[in-house]
Amino acid sequence: MKLGRKILSALAATTLFVAGAAVAQDWQPDGDIKLQIGFGAGGSTDVMGRVLAQTIEEQTGWNVIAENKTGGGGMAMFTVISKMPANNNIIGLGVNMPVMINLVKRPDEVPFNLDSFDYVGTLSRAQLALIARADAPFDNLAEMVAYSKANDGVAVGFGAAPQKLLMEVVNKQDDAGFRFVSTEGEAETQKLLLGGQILAGYSAGTHVPYLESGDFKMIAVGNNARHDYAPDTQTFVEQGYNAYVDPYWFLAMTAGTDPAAVKAIAAAVDAAVNSDAVAEIVANAASSTPLNLGSDGTKKMLVEGLDNVRVLFAD
Amino acid sequence: MVDVATILAGFGDAFTLWNLMFVLFGVVVGQFVGAVPGIGPVMAMAIAIPFTFGLDTLPAIAFLVGVNKGGLVGGAVPAVLMNTPGTPDAAATALDGYPLARKGKPLKATKMALFSSITGDTFSDIVLITVSAPLAILALRMGPVEVFALMIFAFAVLSGLIGNSLFKGIIAAALGLLAASIGADPEHYTPRLIFGHYEVYDGLPLASVAIGMLAISEILRRLSQIRGRMRPAIVVVETDDPNDKRVTWAEYWGCRYTMLRGASIGTVLGALPGIGSTAAAFMSYAATKAGSKEPETFGKGNLHGIAAAESANSAVVGANLIPLLTLGIPGSVGAALIISAFMIHGVQPGPLLFQDQGRLIYGLFGAMVLANFMNLWVGQLGLRFWIKVVSAPESMIFASALLLCIVGVSMATGGLFGVAVMLMFAALGYLMTAFGYSVVIFIIAFFLGPRFEISLSQSLAITNGDLTKIANYPIALVLLGLAVASFIWFLSRSKVDEADT
Repeated sequence: MKLGRKILSALAATTLFVAGAAVAQDWQPDGDIKLQIGFGAGGSTDVMGRVLAQTIEEQTGWNVIAENKTGGGGMAMFTVISKMPANNNIIGLGVNMPVMINLVKRPDEVPFNLDSFDYVGTLSRAQLALIARADAPFDNLAEMVAYSKANDGVAVGFGAAPQKLLMEVVNKQDDAGFRFVSTEGEAETQKLLLGGQILAGYSAGTHVPYLESGDFKMIAVGNNARHDYAPDTQTFVEQGYNAYVDPYWFLAMTAGTDPAAVKAIAAAVDAAVNSDAVAEIVANAASSTPLNLGSDGTKKMLVEGLDNVRVLFAD
Repeated sequence: MVDVATILAGFGDAFTLWNLMFVLFGVVVGQFVGAVPGIGPVMAMAIAIPFTFGLDTLPAIAFLVGVNKGGLVGGAVPAVLMNTPGTPDAAATALDGYPLARKGKPLKATKMALFSSITGDTFSDIVLITVSAPLAILALRMGPVEVFALMIFAFAVLSGLIGNSLFKGIIAAALGLLAASIGADPEHYTPRLIFGHYEVYDGLPLASVAIGMLAISEILRRLSQIRGRMRPAIVVVETDDPNDKRVTWAEYWGCRYTMLRGASIGTVLGALPGIGSTAAAFMSYAATKAGSKEPETFGKGNLHGIAAAESANSAVVGANLIPLLTLGIPGSVGAALIISAFMIHGVQPGPLLFQDQGRLIYGLFGAMVLANFMNLWVGQLGLRFWIKVVSAPESMIFASALLLCIVGVSMATGGLFGVAVMLMFAALGYLMTAFGYSVVIFIIAFFLGPRFEISLSQSLAITNGDLTKIANYPIALVLLGLAVASFIWFLSRSKVDEADT
């Protein structure tokens, strides 16, 4: 039969093609890949996550769907991922600091630990800076402490717990008397700075255009190393306060995921993180550069970071 | 300062056929998703952003602005026709829109909503295009202490909506504030009332509470009233008077002060990040009712009520772009999504945006003006379509609305947890309505609660815990004085009302 032969040869060709593709790439996802973003739509994590998903899709041909799973700075999403059966399709994108703080402060209430995940890699490190209005009467932490003591305290804006903790280290060491003004994030912190209601505050990148426009200046770097765009600003550690915060965006899957899947996904993420598209969005959304520590490096970063957070919280 | 050539070039960019198509497409999509209960323009924008990756910056942003603006017009449709507002700001529109639609004049009610929405939107766009820079500087002067005073003023004005029983009103407001306190506290991040659910660590999902309380509880109430024969969800009464199907120029012009007041309230509140269109819509409504010579006609289909709510909530959206474009600070989730679209297209918002991207910004302004015109045309056509849709038997309409709400909330909140929260609040809303507690007061308190709390916490930190220092803040003092005055005024008016009846 002519038709039967045609079908047979088509089947054979398809088998050959699939086999060939399988040789070219060891692992292929079974269905869609879901990139769950632990923050709401419109924020910097959301934007970077969506571009990352798009880039992986373009580079691998997999179908990658980005979706927002908000709550507790990624805690809701990682809780669900830690509890689900191991799968090869769901990746969580979150920030290390909320996870580590909850693990240190409320270990009994958090239903997972660092072993509950297989780590895929990191996307970037946030560049946390303590900034002030350009006309503020201080340029570094020592001057800021002195000014605060002389003037009944300086109001400092913070948008997340680690930022406040870092400042409390200074408060404790030098009895500076800083007052803490909680904001809904760095956009609001900057509004209060521009309006003159607070004198200093934290920002993780969006302040850079204001440095150029001459509205803000940098007082200290919150990370463990100085920032590329402001090489003259010293870290808290360099200024004599033994504390730092290194917020990383990282990706993780449920523990027990097929190692071949983790390896293939980690490779796909690495290729995407090194692409121009991701570099551009990381620069625009976080004023930072892409940085992938890889599977093992990510776990190491979290384990060591946990010790650092314990130091920050030590009473 | 941007030179005239850049401004003209920007407007020129906006008026290309390619851009026009995207604005039109955005408006159509926005009106559609706005009118379908459960999805809403913010959700639609979040979904649409990845599809704009491949576009140039201007068409991408113009499309999103079209969705946002179309959604405003569409959002009033279910509120007016079915009393099932998908967003809390449209709940203010439903107060008079739905009674008018019930009287057999759904076209008149929805057209009034359309016209006043576009009027308010255009007003705030003109303010944005002409005086955004000075207004942004004024907004910066509104620090936490001033915003705190403004919130107290808002609560005082809104007490005018409490209605017959002061106690029931206060209980509804207290319940709303209690629901708003769920989640981490703003100062120490201590989780409150979360019962181990990190999903509500940042507070209850807004979409679940709003749609559950406002839409689902109403749908349940209406479904429970269905007896015997099939009825259409809305009846269009055929009369000989063509004015029952349209808004006459005299009626529109008669609302000019109402719309001007609504648009001004919306523009001012929109320029301040984080307060939102719900407060604007209800403040405008309450102020209009208080200033009216016949306040007893409100809630019974008064065109001024529709005009007040729609002009204010639409004006907020244009004004939300004032802090966004001048300072890079988003005033709402919709504005945050526009910022993220800017970033994806390689534009970093901030203080240098006008200087670096003047042509793009004026292109965006052009697209906004275009979107307003298209909203009007598409709206005129769309309203007829929606009235045809809701003329279907109500069992069908409400069943599909229920389904859409579940799908929409599950999409907006990322899963079934949000749907469960929605159903819990639907039950609460049903019970509250049944026992005569105002769901609207609950929702307003719930939406203003978090901002109220964080402003209080910020004010305490800034004044070093000494609220007598408020004497150093003249704007705050004026606002507090206004709050006291309006509270006394509303109390005395409600006494007069009681004496009359």
